[in-house]
Amino acid sequence: MLTKIKAALEKMGIENYQIEENRGESLECFFIRRNLDLKRRTDTEDYTVTVYKTLEKDGKKLLGSSTAHVHPGMDSAEIEQALGDANFAASLAGNAYYELYQGQKHEHVPSTSAIAAHPLEECMKIMADAVFAEDTRDDVFINSSEIFVRKNTKHIISSTGTDVSFETCDVMGEYVVQCITPQNVETCRQFNYREPDGEALRKDIQETMTMTQARAQAKGACPSGQYPVIISGSNVATLMRYYVMRSDASMIYQKFSSFAVGDNVQGEDIQGDPLTVVLKAKEPFSNEGIPMEDRVLIENGVLKTLHGATRFARYLGIEPTGSYRSVEVPVGSTPMDQLRSGKYLHVITFSDFNMNPLTGYFGGEIRLGFLCDGETVTPITGGSISGSMIELQKNMTFSEERYRGADYEGPFAVKIENVNVAGA
Amino acid sequence: MKVQGSAFIRQNKPLLLKLRDRLLDEFEYASILATDSKSRNYTASRRNVAVGGDTSRGYVVRAALNGKYAEFSFNALSEENLEDIVSQVKQLAEASDKVLPAGLGENVYEITPAEETHFVGSTDFEVDPEALGDAAILDRLNEIKEKGLSLSDAILDFTARLNWQKYSKLFLSKEKDMEQNVMWITGAFSAAAAKGHGIKNYGKSFSKLGGAELLDEMGKEEDMQHVVNVVLELLDSIPMVPGEYECVCDPATTGMIVHEAFGHGVEMDMFVKKRALAQEYIGQYVASPLVTMHDGACSADQTATYFFDDEGTMAHDTIIIDKGILKTGISDYQSARILGTEPTGNGRRESFRRKAYTRMTNTWFEGGTDSVEDMIASIKYGFLLESPSSGMEDPKNWGIQCMVSMAREIKDGKLTGRILSPCVLTGYVPDLLKSASAMSPNVVLSGTGMCGKGWKEWVKVSDGGPYMKAKIRLG
Repeated sequence: MLTKIKAALEKMGIENYQIEENRGESLECFFIRRNLDLKRRTDTEDYTVTVYKTLEKDGKKLLGSSTAHVHPGMDSAEIEQALGDANFAASLAGNAYYELYQGQKHEHVPSTSAIAAHPLEECMKIMADAVFAEDTRDDVFINSSEIFVRKNTKHIISSTGTDVSFETCDVMGEYVVQCITPQNVETCRQFNYREPDGEALRKDIQETMTMTQARAQAKGACPSGQYPVIISGSNVATLMRYYVMRSDASMIYQKFSSFAVGDNVQGEDIQGDPLTVVLKAKEPFSNEGIPMEDRVLIENGVLKTLHGATRFARYLGIEPTGSYRSVEVPVGSTPMDQLRSGKYLHVITFSDFNMNPLTGYFGGEIRLGFLCDGETVTPITGGSISGSMIELQKNMTFSEERYRGADYEGPFAVKIENVNVAGA
Repeated sequence: MKVQGSAFIRQNKPLLLKLRDRLLDEFEYASILATDSKSRNYTASRRNVAVGGDTSRGYVVRAALNGKYAEFSFNALSEENLEDIVSQVKQLAEASDKVLPAGLGENVYEITPAEETHFVGSTDFEVDPEALGDAAILDRLNEIKEKGLSLSDAILDFTARLNWQKYSKLFLSKEKDMEQNVMWITGAFSAAAAKGHGIKNYGKSFSKLGGAELLDEMGKEEDMQHVVNVVLELLDSIPMVPGEYECVCDPATTGMIVHEAFGHGVEMDMFVKKRALAQEYIGQYVASPLVTMHDGACSADQTATYFFDDEGTMAHDTIIIDKGILKTGISDYQSARILGTEPTGNGRRESFRRKAYTRMTNTWFEGGTDSVEDMIASIKYGFLLESPSSGMEDPKNWGIQCMVSMAREIKDGKLTGRILSPCVLTGYVPDLLKSASAMSPNVVLSGTGMCGKGWKEWVKVSDGGPYMKAKIRLG
């Protein structure tokens, strides 16, 4: 198919392009209680062609781009039609000119995951064993679960020299833990690992079972007011999105963020822990074939770099880095026991914890929290928290305990002072 | 005019019929869903113009062997690989022993013959966006953008967007041969403004089952002026003081409550897993007698309208709550089989790559007889809630989490002009719905959003209702 696409591009005189080929396969199992309800397998290939066109309007040089999707079974005429449509659309979508990324040919990067070397069924069995290993009780159990084992190969070639390919593998899914006494409650959790890490999943399920039992004891929301609030686990990663998004070149170019290298982005008067954030390269190349590497984003509250894909990086005159979604944050120096001293509200789970990087507001409804009045700890449920990172970021204290998620590694918890809580 | 069928599906149908027949030689049940979709999206803003699109073509086979189901999703089909596809489905169907932990079982379904169904249907449109062309559409969006930008020097940007999708689906099984061709379109414009490090945005959205005639609805200057005025007002908004208040929800906020707070809780695949509290309340009052709730792909002409679902069940108009009493849920085919109920045409897939789940379609509350002015006048202190942004379901415990962008303060029956933003709505679903004390006559549905099941499986939905007065906990 790549040969057909290249021939069509040449025939149509399209000089600047990028082709992304994706081949993927997966095995998926869906369980209701302890019964397998459905087995699924997928086997697909797709091609996305981005067409670039240099334009001129009112004496200004512009660059337009648009995309076409090519599927197996398309004949040459259909491919030419799709590319022709994209080429015409590119001529309408002229934006400020920028130089395309000048790439190189690299050796194929195979996945180092054990998933790559084993049949999907073997990996599925490991993860299914892990899901049900702790499912031994009648009062707290796995209600339902889904497991996906996936392999994907991406190949990116461009008219400006890029020719890279790499393999990615992962297992992902979700499970629901139900506890039926004294109240009937559940916790729904997602997981995503690059290895068939049954032990990690088993540990996660153990913790979720404990947490769900605690939620079954929780009665009502806490009184409304302002609290020191502890947020933990993957919810800390959600907070960090504020910094990742605000330092993205596209946000800055469009003036949706005023971040600049050297700024004290955590504010001028840091009263808690100074923040350090490292952007983590989880894949060898970006969607434009840019080699990805770890980069220090923020060091002690000061912005060290901006990041972004070629177009917006060129506009800002910075190096194109590719787009990042994973971060690492150094752990703090305060043990959890110390974070949980005095009066506090520790929110363990939200129904959905949101961070709006434009406004800086975060918030969510509390599914399970522990309220401490200084002496007694009470499990609570219901109500919500909300606050502004812009106002509250100066007073964050990070735990010394570590959390490892798919796209976040860093302090297990952060304590933020003066967070609004809407309660009973 | 009617949406035309897919040449791709038409050309491949003989091969798909051959594949179906080969599968039926090997399995007691076999169906094939073939999809061909094309979408285009357009953006015009101060510093960005974009035209993009997507096409998606592929197949999913569902087959049952000894009552156990397996599915295979793929997008390469030819005479040469047809036997390979049959072989892959067989291998998958027989793979249970390789993946099942010791002590676990596998669900076995009784395979019963379905009713013979032959169907072809297409939705209507006035202006074909493909025929209108990218250039004309971008011109219209650029006009909107320029007009919006001209309305105030204080705004950062004004963005106009349009997105349409045309799709064809063919469902084949032993008894069914069904084809549908559908087109929906959505549009929006929004303004952004900055104060300090905070950015506020506000917009107006448009959607319909149809074509580029939607652009005519998007061109009103008074709507653009309203958007610009509100975003500037939002710059001076203040945080919400947590508490329970008398509120008037605009139709979009009513829609989000309908969808997130209640709709997800009556998806009957959740009944199968005993994950939905609603299951225990069938036949009981769960809302004020003013509340009547519908869901269904043929309950309204909006972006989630279709003729049959991804399992070959014809679309329904399901009355879920009738004058406050919970009557039924909505279901996919498999869930209905387990529960012994009739499927309601709600089995939907994100794409041919994904599993079918019970999903909402067009979900809405019926209107009432009260005026918005009377609702506001009846409130001593409370808020008019507008512009919902996101929500999350909690079928097990009927908790509510919805975010709205703004709450307009009401004092002594009048809007004070003060705006509080943003707000989190929380509480217990039946408490909120039982507190509904007034509904306006006009029902407005919006189909600009997508709905996930948990954190994935995104499908197009619409939701809405009238202005609704209720007691709501805000934070």
